[in-house]
Amino acid sequence: MTQHPAAPGTATYTRVFRAPRELVFRCMLEPEHLTHFWGPAGMSTPLDGITVDARPGGVFSTVMVADDGSGSYTMRAVYDEIVAPERIVWTEVASGVRSVSTFVDLGEQGTEVTIEQHDVPAAFLTPEARSGFLTSLDRFEAHLRTQLETWSA
Amino acid sequence: MTPVIDDPRLDAAFTALADPTRRAIVARLARGDATVTELAEPFEISLPGVSKHLKVLERSGLISRTRHAQFRPCHLEPGPLTAALDWIEDSRRVWAERFDKLDAHLEHLQRTSTTPTETKDVPR
Repeated sequence: MTQHPAAPGTATYTRVFRAPRELVFRCMLEPEHLTHFWGPAGMSTPLDGITVDARPGGVFSTVMVADDGSGSYTMRAVYDEIVAPERIVWTEVASGVRSVSTFVDLGEQGTEVTIEQHDVPAAFLTPEARSGFLTSLDRFEAHLRTQLETWSA
Repeated sequence: MTPVIDDPRLDAAFTALADPTRRAIVARLARGDATVTELAEPFEISLPGVSKHLKVLERSGLISRTRHAQFRPCHLEPGPLTAALDWIEDSRRVWAERFDKLDAHLEHLQRTSTTPTETKDVPR
């Protein structure tokens, strides 16, 4: 995955999958596929917790459950746009973050999927955010956590 | 994972941390409380300039200042910062891990299915 500079106001994640565009598109839209990958590492997304009403204004919601039983997280969103097999747009209700998924057919190479997150919190959107903000904060976080451990010791 | 995407403190924390001077101030305060004068020392900006940054940080909830003491030392409040850092880290990691799993799922689909739907151009 790469994070490359995008239009102002977006955070972007891109990856190329060795599979035809129609299949990749369906994976991002059909519960039977979403259940296999929607939860990040350590979390699963049971099929009965996924709602996909694939039309503009339709509900997209998922319940991600921690594999160790420590809890679950519900994401509620509304589809803004669905253009098969090239584009899916949804907006998360709680945060207002809008995610635009685009699917580009690269022929033999497969399919390039790009997720653009719009309307993410302010500082995430600055030019600085796109060129190292994440890295510097990662380092800073490590430092801060060390400090916090020192304090509480 | 600690999803904090709807935390109301995030906007203010993100805005405050967008500025490199303010990040440096926060990093300094992570080492311990400091007065405005002490905080101004490493920067080529005036005391009023530093005070302006401190006001932004104070409004965001990232720092607090003693009301009574003459020198009003600044103190880092790690709560909002931790929330902001968690949001950034979560968002990045979630999509990376999701993509990893999708990659595996697609590979599995194409390996096991003899008649994959609409996949006549599957690269082998």
